[in-house]
Amino acid sequence: MRFSRKSLGIPYAVFLVIFVAAPLLFLFYYAFTNGQGQFTVWNFTHFFTDPNTLGTLYYSLLLALVTTMVCLLLAYPVAYFLATSTMRTKPVVLMLFVMPMWINFSLRITALKEILNVLEGNLAMHPFLNAVVGMTYDFLPFMILPIYTTISRLDGALREAAMDLGANRVQTFLRVTLPLSVPGIISGVSMVFLPAMTNYVVLDMLYNSTYIMGSLIGSYFSAYNWHGGSMISLILLALICIFTLLTGNEEESVGRGGALL
Amino acid sequence: MHNRIRKKTLLTSLSVLLFLMLFVPESLAERMSEILPAGWADQLCLQAQASDTITLRVCNWEEYIDLGDWDEEETIELPSGDIIGENSMVEDFEEWYYDTYGKRVKVEYSTFGTNEDLYNMLTLGDVYDLVCPSEYLIMKLMAEDALVPLSDDFFDTAQENNYYSRGAAPFIRQMFENSEIGGEPWAKYAAGYMWGVTGLVYNPEIVTREQASSWKILADPEFARKVTIKDNVRDAYFAAVGAIKSDLLTSEEFRSDPDYAKNLEREMNDTSPEMIEKVQEWLKGVKDNVFSFETDAGKADMITGKVAVNYQWSGDAVYTLDQADEDDYTLCFAVPEESTDIYFDGWVMLRSGIGNDADRQHAAEAFINFMSRPDNAIRNMYYIGYTSVISGGEDPRMFEYAQYCYEAEDDEEETVEYDLSYFFSGDPENADGEYVIETPADQLERQLYGQYPPADVIGRSSIMTYFNDEQNERINQMWINVRCFDIRRAPWWSWILILGTLVLVGRYLIIRRLRNKGR
Repeated sequence: MRFSRKSLGIPYAVFLVIFVAAPLLFLFYYAFTNGQGQFTVWNFTHFFTDPNTLGTLYYSLLLALVTTMVCLLLAYPVAYFLATSTMRTKPVVLMLFVMPMWINFSLRITALKEILNVLEGNLAMHPFLNAVVGMTYDFLPFMILPIYTTISRLDGALREAAMDLGANRVQTFLRVTLPLSVPGIISGVSMVFLPAMTNYVVLDMLYNSTYIMGSLIGSYFSAYNWHGGSMISLILLALICIFTLLTGNEEESVGRGGALL
Repeated sequence: MHNRIRKKTLLTSLSVLLFLMLFVPESLAERMSEILPAGWADQLCLQAQASDTITLRVCNWEEYIDLGDWDEEETIELPSGDIIGENSMVEDFEEWYYDTYGKRVKVEYSTFGTNEDLYNMLTLGDVYDLVCPSEYLIMKLMAEDALVPLSDDFFDTAQENNYYSRGAAPFIRQMFENSEIGGEPWAKYAAGYMWGVTGLVYNPEIVTREQASSWKILADPEFARKVTIKDNVRDAYFAAVGAIKSDLLTSEEFRSDPDYAKNLEREMNDTSPEMIEKVQEWLKGVKDNVFSFETDAGKADMITGKVAVNYQWSGDAVYTLDQADEDDYTLCFAVPEESTDIYFDGWVMLRSGIGNDADRQHAAEAFINFMSRPDNAIRNMYYIGYTSVISGGEDPRMFEYAQYCYEAEDDEEETVEYDLSYFFSGDPENADGEYVIETPADQLERQLYGQYPPADVIGRSSIMTYFNDEQNERINQMWINVRCFDIRRAPWWSWILILGTLVLVGRYLIIRRLRNKGR
């Protein structure tokens, strides 16, 4: 019997089969059957015709979109200045941004709750705002880090060349630095956008009682409706796949484009 | 070189084997135990242990049993003797069972978070012998024929160790005998553990008792964003029905009807499509009015003063009031005039676990009885704050404990007489003041009112039956309609934002692609 290095992957393959592939098959089975075990696409059509489930998708998208934008607006300048500055305390500052990630997030949200309570008076008055603030607080480091890494890896010579050729600082940024940092932005966006669509614990803890995709799936399962819940999980999975395919292509092509420059 | 490769192969296969061992069903594990060395087999499956040990798989609510380890000063000093929890209840049971019946029993104790979780766990094939769900899940399990009936022995009051049959409160026992599913009374399958009613915890500085005595307060704009409601469809539904039918339920005519109890139960369990429609509208209003739909946070929000009213189960209400007292912050508890949901958690034995194993069933029934022994019931009550269904029968300790908790000190200025004979006496009409507690006047609105609600509250209580599949589907759809964002209500700016982003991203992608092709 010949032993190849591939055999080392067996434990992981077993893991994958038991915990990823098998549950996925169950998911497919439940999504396309009804309570009597017959094949049906009702779960699918129902999701896209009911204004409430559709509204949940819409609300999750909106929430994730706003969160991602706020994160991007906050994170880009920070990452940019950190990456381009020459100060000696840079590692310390970076550490300060990363440190919150070491603390359990539900603890952080609990603390945030008290702060927001002081600022807003009655927390329940602004459920959408609360959710955006909570998610931004939670996901900001995931946006800063990839952008920071991308910008700090940029060849400084490119910027100097732009300046030499007569571009001013703003032009240099817009025509050189910004396009070249797109891969960082994209990986930051995908690390914030997708979890923000389903992280319902933040909403729960900050008194937003509207369902998003995560809580909607949960509500189906606690109502013993595994079929509807599985279908929504599948739809969410499909969305994630589409998103990953789009951004994956993009990162690749941008990477190649960068090399050509 | 060869050696190293062989080592790797060995390691890989070992890790796969180890991994498999965690997941193989027990029958397979047993077969494996024949091949593997003896030492390993014991680790692999518990059944391989000495065969005279009975394994009892119990699944109970989280934090719903005394774990022992009390401080010395926590000792409950009753006239009939001191009570203190030194070891956990489960350990005490194992020891007691061995001393009493001469057999070893090993309790595998696990917990669940909600009735729905437990039901899903059972559907997925988790096996338990004895579980403690709420009344509506007991009804569902009964309807599905998933339960083993309690044995005749269990009901034999002549046996000294049958603490449940000898000590369960008569009014609870009556309810268990009168409520039927498919022609069979609950009592045949279920033994009660804890019980209570639903009501409202409120802050008396902001809310009057009268306001807190109606379910309508949940939708009252005067308390906008100052009330919380339970985040589960059954409790929300009950409150909604109570509020919508408030005028009918509180009318003199309805109350004086000789069939009041039956009518009330029918009205409160109204699941007609029209009613579901009305409930949906009402709850949509509530969603815009309440502070939150909460599962657990409501207690803390109440104590920290974030909200003024909190929809609560009586056991948790007692806990909330106790916690507030420690902060010198006074809260009260009221039960709405319309009606209140009387609920139980009870022990039932599962067919899938017990099967025909008489030894195991004996151990399971002994577990119920041990939990029902008055001193143990008191320990559990003290530890978790809920009210035990045990009134003690001939054992005076349960009533002594109520006195211990709520009787007024000698120097108390204002006291009232609080009659508990409906619970402790088998014959309330002729109890003759035997079960009256002299209690501080404010207890009429506080812990005692939650721990042992007065007879008039019990009078207007109603059982909420389980929803069958069809009702369940309709009511859950209603709940989703309430909780979800209706896309037709989306503001214009959100459409601009989403469509704008889509257009921008799409444009960017197309330009990129074209440019790449150009190269």
